Amino acid sequence: MSRPPVLECAGLTKSFGTRLAVDGVGFRIAEGEVYGLLGPNGAGKTTTMKMVCGLLEPDKGSISIAGQQAIGNLEVKGLIGYVPQEVALYPDLTAYENLAFLARLYKLGRRTVAARVEEALELTELSDRRNDRLDSFSGGMKRRMNIAAGLLNHPKLLVLDEPTVGVDPQSRHAILERVQAFGREGLAVVYTTHYMEEAERVCDRVGIIDHGRLIAEGTRRELVAQLGEQDRIELNASGDLERLAEACRAVDGVSSAATAENSVHLVATEGRHLLPAILEAADAADISITSVDVVEPDLEAVFLNLTGTALRE
Amino acid sequence: MRALAIARASGRRVLRDRVALFFLIILPIVVIVVVGAVAQGFNTFRVGVVDLDGTQASRQLVAELSHASGLAVIAYPSVGSLEKAVARSEINTGVVIPRGLSTDELSARAVTVGVIAEQANSTQQAAGTRVTSVVEEFGARVEAAQFATRYGGSFVQNLSRASSLESSTPRVGLSSQVVHTSQGSLPPGYEYSAPTELVLFVFLMAIAGGATIVETRRLGMFERMSAAPVRPRTIIAGESITYVVIAAVQSLVIVAIGSVVFGVSWGNPLAAAALLILWCLVGAGAGMVAGTFFRTPEQASAMGPIVGIVFAMLGGCMWPLSIVSTTMREIGHATPQAWAVDAWTNLLSNHGDLVTISHELGILVLFALGFFGLATFRLKRMLSSRGA
Repeated sequence: MSRPPVLECAGLTKSFGTRLAVDGVGFRIAEGEVYGLLGPNGAGKTTTMKMVCGLLEPDKGSISIAGQQAIGNLEVKGLIGYVPQEVALYPDLTAYENLAFLARLYKLGRRTVAARVEEALELTELSDRRNDRLDSFSGGMKRRMNIAAGLLNHPKLLVLDEPTVGVDPQSRHAILERVQAFGREGLAVVYTTHYMEEAERVCDRVGIIDHGRLIAEGTRRELVAQLGEQDRIELNASGDLERLAEACRAVDGVSSAATAENSVHLVATEGRHLLPAILEAADAADISITSVDVVEPDLEAVFLNLTGTALRE
Repeated sequence: MRALAIARASGRRVLRDRVALFFLIILPIVVIVVVGAVAQGFNTFRVGVVDLDGTQASRQLVAELSHASGLAVIAYPSVGSLEKAVARSEINTGVVIPRGLSTDELSARAVTVGVIAEQANSTQQAAGTRVTSVVEEFGARVEAAQFATRYGGSFVQNLSRASSLESSTPRVGLSSQVVHTSQGSLPPGYEYSAPTELVLFVFLMAIAGGATIVETRRLGMFERMSAAPVRPRTIIAGESITYVVIAAVQSLVIVAIGSVVFGVSWGNPLAAAALLILWCLVGAGAGMVAGTFFRTPEQASAMGPIVGIVFAMLGGCMWPLSIVSTTMREIGHATPQAWAVDAWTNLLSNHGDLVTISHELGILVLFALGFFGLATFRLKRMLSSRGA
């Protein structure tokens, strides 16, 4: 990594009561880099992000932002733009009022506040709705406003926690375009998601997190390379999917099998050649398969291979 | 400055919410005007009288009660029916003129005129006090008539002469100054209602206002604010400013309407102002605590008034704590309401000032600090346990 790191965290650990939510997570993000934290719901992504943003204090570990120790350091928060998972804005205030209020929390002067608000509205293409109340906005517009609020302090590090949840495809596309642009403009971005396609599309590097642990990290190519010649096979079927997965695991060449919604996902060496054996196993298990899809190695296959479970389980 | 930004945003939201404005400002005005108007109508006490004597002297006492200002006399046939009427609050007090009133008066023996009023009913107690003063005046004329009868004339003639001489005798001016006494309860009538309503309303509305804090919390705004370089205590301070201002507006409205429309005296201005400000802080602090304890805005709106009313009952806003048992009085003083009512009692009934209510003010400062401290602690805890 030639560019200087904006975020460096190591050994982050956090428990809630007896439940270990994050277990020794560490990663670095450089200037202009979009880093994806990919994992299923409840994997520990949000807890990790809250620790990075100073909203939760880690039980163990260290966080450094732009070279400054971040834990318990109030001023470092001024370097971070936080976009929470849920839209956190006042529905009964206008777009301008919401952003101006949040900008004032960063001790900005009146003129700077006005300039930053206009700039954030323009970046998120909401300038024409500046005087409308938030409760009149569509879901996608609210999400864009949520992002605009994270840009007001001109952060060095932008933390986006699942910013596209519940958003229509058009708004999602606009948000993803914008995130890629942030990276090009030199901002360090942490992007958490459980959508593999999003991570593949916008992130320069991806960290895969499961059960609170960072189990793999690298560029898409590096991660997929771990699979070697393996393919991902998606079997859509009706009936007992667990039994089908069990039957597939017994097929020689299948390295992992997991059930997802109405389908079973397999990782197998030279998947296309294994299809007859897999269909035979399904037939023997008395399961009728409705469609078969063999996919080139992707992050979903990496996750399946590493954890033995499908990402969207 | 950050606290002011938070206060500004909260204030803007409250001003935009017409329902909240109705409950925070309009409703208290309506209630105090209605209660004030009704309390003003209570300037005449209904007095039931049973005349067991039926002589000219007893009829004269009944006539004097009838002519006394603020008393309306209703005749009852028996003591039983009179007691029943008092118990049902059909009348404010009952007077029993005993049999043999004239005979006892002639023989200069002590005469006992019974006055029936329930001890726990402040209106009946006030009516009883008024009746007693009329009976005592009558007693003074009886004593004069008894004295004159020793030297000639009949008792009845002397009694009527005492009445006529009383009206023609020049009155001796008398001024009095209370030097060392204290009243345990607020003055009767609206002078009692106005300060206790203020104590009740400000607190009750503040607790119910916790719903807005719960909503802010649920919107994720506290978490968002905490992601900026802002401490939890700054957030609490910012939100509190709005609610202190609302409480102050409510208080000033009640004070103004009480003074201008109903002529209520609020006592020493400096002490009253200090008490009002502190009570606003106590109310705002309690609202903040409610905002961090209740889970949903609906829960806060529903439970807030119940909590406020229970505290008001325990704290002497519904009836004077002087009439409840010692244990209940001690329990009542676990609420800030009791200390606020004590301070108003001291100010209004005993002409207190800043010094004489300093003890109560000190306790209220502790309540306010306690509430704000607890709210900050709760918010901090919420933020550090997966978010507020």
